[in-house]
Amino acid sequence: MLMYKMRSKFYKKEDMVFISHLDLLRVFERAMRRAKIPIAYTQGFNPHPIMAFATALGLGISSDAEYIDITLYESVDENVFMDRVNKVLPEGLKLVKSKDVSIKEDSLMSIVKSSSYLVRFILNEKMDKNIFEEKLKEFENLDTIIIKKEKRKRKGNRWINKVQEIDIKESIHSIELAQIEDMEVMLRMKLTAGEVGNIKPEIVLEELANHVNINYNKDSLRIHRINLLNESEEDLMQ
Amino acid sequence: MEKVEIHDLLYKVEKPARYLGNELNSVHKEIDEHTIRYAFCFPDVYEIGMSHLGMQIIYHLLNDKKNIFCERVFAPASDMEKEMRDNNVPLFGLESRQALNNFDFLGFTLQYELSYSNILNMLDLAGIPLYSRERTEEDPIVMVGGPCAYNPEPIADFIDIVVLGEGEEVIIELLELYENEKKNGGYTKSAYLEKAAQIQGVYIPSLYNVTYREDGIIESFEPINPNIPRRIQKRIIQNLDEVFYPEQVIVPYLNVVHDRVMLEIFRGCMRGCRFCQAGMIYRPVREKSVDRLSDLAEKLITSTGYEEISLASLSTSDYTELHKMVRHLIDKYSEDKIGISLPSLRLDNFSLELVKEIQKVRKTGLTFAPEAGSQRLRDVINKGLTEHDLTNAVEKAFASGWSNVKLYFMLGLPTENDEDLLGIRDMALKVLDVFYKTPKEDRASSINVTVSTSTFVPKPFTPFQWEPQITLEEIKRKQSLLNENLKRKNLTYNYHDSKTSLLEAVFARGDRKLSKVLEVAFKSGCKFDGWYEFFNYDKWMEAFKETNIDPYFYTRRRAYDEILPWDHINVGVTKDFLIKENERSKNAEVTGNCRDTCSACGITQTFVGGIC
Repeated sequence: MLMYKMRSKFYKKEDMVFISHLDLLRVFERAMRRAKIPIAYTQGFNPHPIMAFATALGLGISSDAEYIDITLYESVDENVFMDRVNKVLPEGLKLVKSKDVSIKEDSLMSIVKSSSYLVRFILNEKMDKNIFEEKLKEFENLDTIIIKKEKRKRKGNRWINKVQEIDIKESIHSIELAQIEDMEVMLRMKLTAGEVGNIKPEIVLEELANHVNINYNKDSLRIHRINLLNESEEDLMQ
Repeated sequence: MEKVEIHDLLYKVEKPARYLGNELNSVHKEIDEHTIRYAFCFPDVYEIGMSHLGMQIIYHLLNDKKNIFCERVFAPASDMEKEMRDNNVPLFGLESRQALNNFDFLGFTLQYELSYSNILNMLDLAGIPLYSRERTEEDPIVMVGGPCAYNPEPIADFIDIVVLGEGEEVIIELLELYENEKKNGGYTKSAYLEKAAQIQGVYIPSLYNVTYREDGIIESFEPINPNIPRRIQKRIIQNLDEVFYPEQVIVPYLNVVHDRVMLEIFRGCMRGCRFCQAGMIYRPVREKSVDRLSDLAEKLITSTGYEEISLASLSTSDYTELHKMVRHLIDKYSEDKIGISLPSLRLDNFSLELVKEIQKVRKTGLTFAPEAGSQRLRDVINKGLTEHDLTNAVEKAFASGWSNVKLYFMLGLPTENDEDLLGIRDMALKVLDVFYKTPKEDRASSINVTVSTSTFVPKPFTPFQWEPQITLEEIKRKQSLLNENLKRKNLTYNYHDSKTSLLEAVFARGDRKLSKVLEVAFKSGCKFDGWYEFFNYDKWMEAFKETNIDPYFYTRRRAYDEILPWDHINVGVTKDFLIKENERSKNAEVTGNCRDTCSACGITQTFVGGIC
């Protein structure tokens, strides 16, 4: 059977940031049915629509740039697709671009290499812009940034927790101060994403805070994804 | 009116999607001074409450009326409750995010006794006084409905209005009366409640006085004045094709327990199992037509985008046109991969061809409920099915590739002995046997049989309403006897916590004295009693002790001539019929189903005859 692949970029914000990745999958599946989009299904006893995201977005994180591939069994015009789907998506979720790509096109997961974020938080004590920038520089000049990652591993019949040490230095492509006003700080980060490994902005912030001594209120942390980028640091749907 | 500020809390709690209130097909309305505000409250977490069909019906029924705004409220999970209490956020309606004290009515659905402590916790979280007598004109009116409302006595002191029976008509009548009383001026709650008591299906607990004998048994139960009906009759809907049914239902973001279109195909049950409360209180049997159902199915699938539709009833295979209905759904929707599920199929007319047909789209496990392990005991409880029915059904199932079978039984049924229990083991082994006798090339490579037992809880309005519940020690002994005997490869045995069954039994047949126990237990921290990780048996026992109430008073055998706490409620089935059935059970005499012979249960005398 001939298949078609519709690639879309969408945003996820407002209340929709509280929808988990798994729940989002269901939202899309049901939206496709209501929009009467001819989605293709997997074979077998429990058929699933064939859909794939570029990466999973953490709960509570807003994004201007999520990507999804949806496989169709009939060709649909890109604009018709966008119109019909946007009519049924809840507020806070919206397709901003759709493109009929070749079914053989590389998967989104394989082409994404990095993600850019805005990270906002409130300091516990006031800090000058200069001082903050110096601290950032100090952090960037570190040779290694080792984090400890707990991994549950199966050994025979039981699960054991194994602590793994990872250097995330190379995963931080850039980190800069976008804004500092009173106690409120906004950072811009570009971090490794995709098949090579995902590094979370909240982990980077925690390492920053630990290494150069920054006190901030953890409850105040808000993260926004600006975009996902490919090898050439371009939008995934140029 | 101010909204509660929860945005920042949502970053801190598990599954924040529980509290958003903006799911597909949820209703949001402008509120003005004429709006009657109704909060449908489900005293458990979102995922349980959102699986409840009754809530979807009442929600959309009320919101179809211009001047009524019905919102949903669930028990917040403990992490959210803590955040709310720490930040002084009162319990709120999900849709408007406004505090519950702005509402005219709070309607709690009583699906199981172990949710009662959550009702008190939710009132408390809303800052509303627990006891009905402590609430003022400014507070919302608190009403209840649902299966446990047929004996609402244990929570009667907390409740203003009890709705008995099917709610679609009576709830509208109650709200219209409220609207008129408010319009006419000089509204008082007490006058409203007295007028409401005249509506069939409405029970106002505060309008009755109870006295007790020295031994704790009820001496008298009397209305406070002669205008109040002595007995309150439940409501039923005459014509299920004409009654309201939603054409769109709320589609949760979260994966809830029943996450599919639920199509109610009929109400009532013709079987008459003697332990089953639903089979008695929902009489008579009334079906929806295939035409009406096909129309609803189409509208619901279109408006929700769901990938599965379930035909809901107490005994799905008893629907007279089941084959026609299923055929229609398969023909119309299998291309779109929409699965069909048929819960509550019976063994004796188990139609494997039908199930095979629907499983071509999506495949699931097989569940059977023989309820008792021996033919004698199955006859005692009037579950008219034989071992042959079971082996016959699984034989065909295994030959068609099924490899997962679940068997449900009850422990502690009246007259049960160890021989009956070992019958459970024998049945499970027979199922395994049938599997291994199936030719290897036809059957799956491995088999898994799960045996689950729940503890029998005698319920009001059943032939077993006078029967005792066995002691905790006896429950445990029976469970370990089964555990020993079901230790086999490919066999799994699950059973319920015996202590929660005791509490369930106390509240199922309880009286008004229990409200004090409930209050004390709630204040000592009891909530989510149906959840193993929250249930605190010791705290409950302390509450009984502190209030000087013996829980075993409620689990004892009752005499036919004593006044039962729910005797003032008329469900249509007569006490004489229930006594007759209980006596027949003692001789293991089977009573036929309503379609074959009428056993004169009384439902046709109280309600319009000839419909069952």
